[in-house]
Amino acid sequence: MKDSLVLRSRVPAHPDSRCWFLAWNPTGTLLASCGGDRKIRIWGTEGDSWICKSVLSEGHQRTVRKVAWSPCGNYLASASFDATTCIWKKNQDDFECVTTLEGHENEVKSVAWAPSGNLLATCSRDKSVWVWEVDEEDEYECVSVLNSHTQDVKHVVWHPSQELLASASYDDTVKLYQEEGDDWVCCATLEGHESTVWSLAFDPSGQRLASCSDDRTVRIWRQYLPGNEQGVACSGSDPSWKCICTLSGFHTRTIYDVAWCQLTGALATACGDDAIRVFEEDPGSDPQQPTFSLTAHVHQAHSQDVNCVAWNPKEPGLLASCSDDGEVAFWEYHQTAGL
Amino acid sequence: MAVEQDMFDTVVMADERFHGEGYQEGYEEGSNLGIVEGRRYGTLHGAKIGSEIGCYRGFALAWKCLLHSSAVEKDSRKMKVVEALIALLQHFPYDDPTYERLHEDLDRIRGKFRQLCSLLNVQPDFKVTAGDSGLAF
Repeated sequence: MKDSLVLRSRVPAHPDSRCWFLAWNPTGTLLASCGGDRKIRIWGTEGDSWICKSVLSEGHQRTVRKVAWSPCGNYLASASFDATTCIWKKNQDDFECVTTLEGHENEVKSVAWAPSGNLLATCSRDKSVWVWEVDEEDEYECVSVLNSHTQDVKHVVWHPSQELLASASYDDTVKLYQEEGDDWVCCATLEGHESTVWSLAFDPSGQRLASCSDDRTVRIWRQYLPGNEQGVACSGSDPSWKCICTLSGFHTRTIYDVAWCQLTGALATACGDDAIRVFEEDPGSDPQQPTFSLTAHVHQAHSQDVNCVAWNPKEPGLLASCSDDGEVAFWEYHQTAGL
Repeated sequence: MAVEQDMFDTVVMADERFHGEGYQEGYEEGSNLGIVEGRRYGTLHGAKIGSEIGCYRGFALAWKCLLHSSAVEKDSRKMKVVEALIALLQHFPYDDPTYERLHEDLDRIRGKFRQLCSLLNVQPDFKVTAGDSGLAF
């Protein structure tokens, strides 16, 4: 089983520091990494090896916690503990910081671009989620400040095709937001995790959402539209979300990240026990109560906490991971025979 | 014989009786103190929320005037948000402390206010605390 996830290469991306997060550009040719050294690095291939193409070091005064590429691939957003979010414009191999978004009271924990590229979401330790609108002149205007969470907000992610935003928090819940009239509102709260929810990932269809937590479980939530055949109650015209699967007993520490491959449907997790695991849905399992099997498990994937896992959007099975040890690793995942 | 029995009873039950009386007295005194303390806390807290709301209201009305006098098209979103904030403030129930959605509404108002500050590119000049209330003056 272990052989199904093979190490391809490893680079010291943020030496003497932590590497917090990774993001593939939409064409899958570049990988952005960010870390405690306040730097963002852009990685690309040259022959068989991964090399650092650019270093973005002037933007932030403190740790860069997360990065996100715009859907067009020409912009990179970075969220930092210095309470700002920078927008970088790409010109060939160069990146220029074109805008700095201010407004959060303290550490910005995550940033995400909506599929249209016209909206950006950020979240912070100040418990708020902000939605920004981008106009044609690259100007960003805040369209909403959402104070639904009662604690630190750890992660934000957009639905793959709709303008539906999800956020994960230290208050153990996941919240979903959508636009209503002139404002954005919280339209669902997903309760079930017993501790901090660290990360979220939509499946390729956007019908299901995976959440991972400090309670050492991954939960899969499914959207039910009003009038669904299964008889799941909805309030008014809003869909409701129900937990249809809990992956427990696999992880021995906090799960920091979950990634749902948009090409293969494989689910990877990054864990505080230094391991990377891959799960796949059992063929023929009931869509209302799916079961997942552990198909790959690398025990010492890194020498410290694994902070992030990211599937390449174009090359099936190419997985990148990063860790508190400052390294980025590239893995090749092969689907087990019979699945 | 019966009288003797009663006398012993009084002695034997004294402990329980005094305990009961003491409890009653203590309970009453505690209730009174609790009401006083609760009232003081409520007044203090209510006043805090009141002054926060009042501050937003003054801010919003002042900006409404400023934006009116410089009616540029680019300001239409700012104006919309100012109006939205004023509407939220007007709907906020000042005289009903038991209003169920008090905190929910307050959070919406705070969000709107912060959005407005961001659009206007002004720094709210009060410090923000890590505590539950979110804002301190």
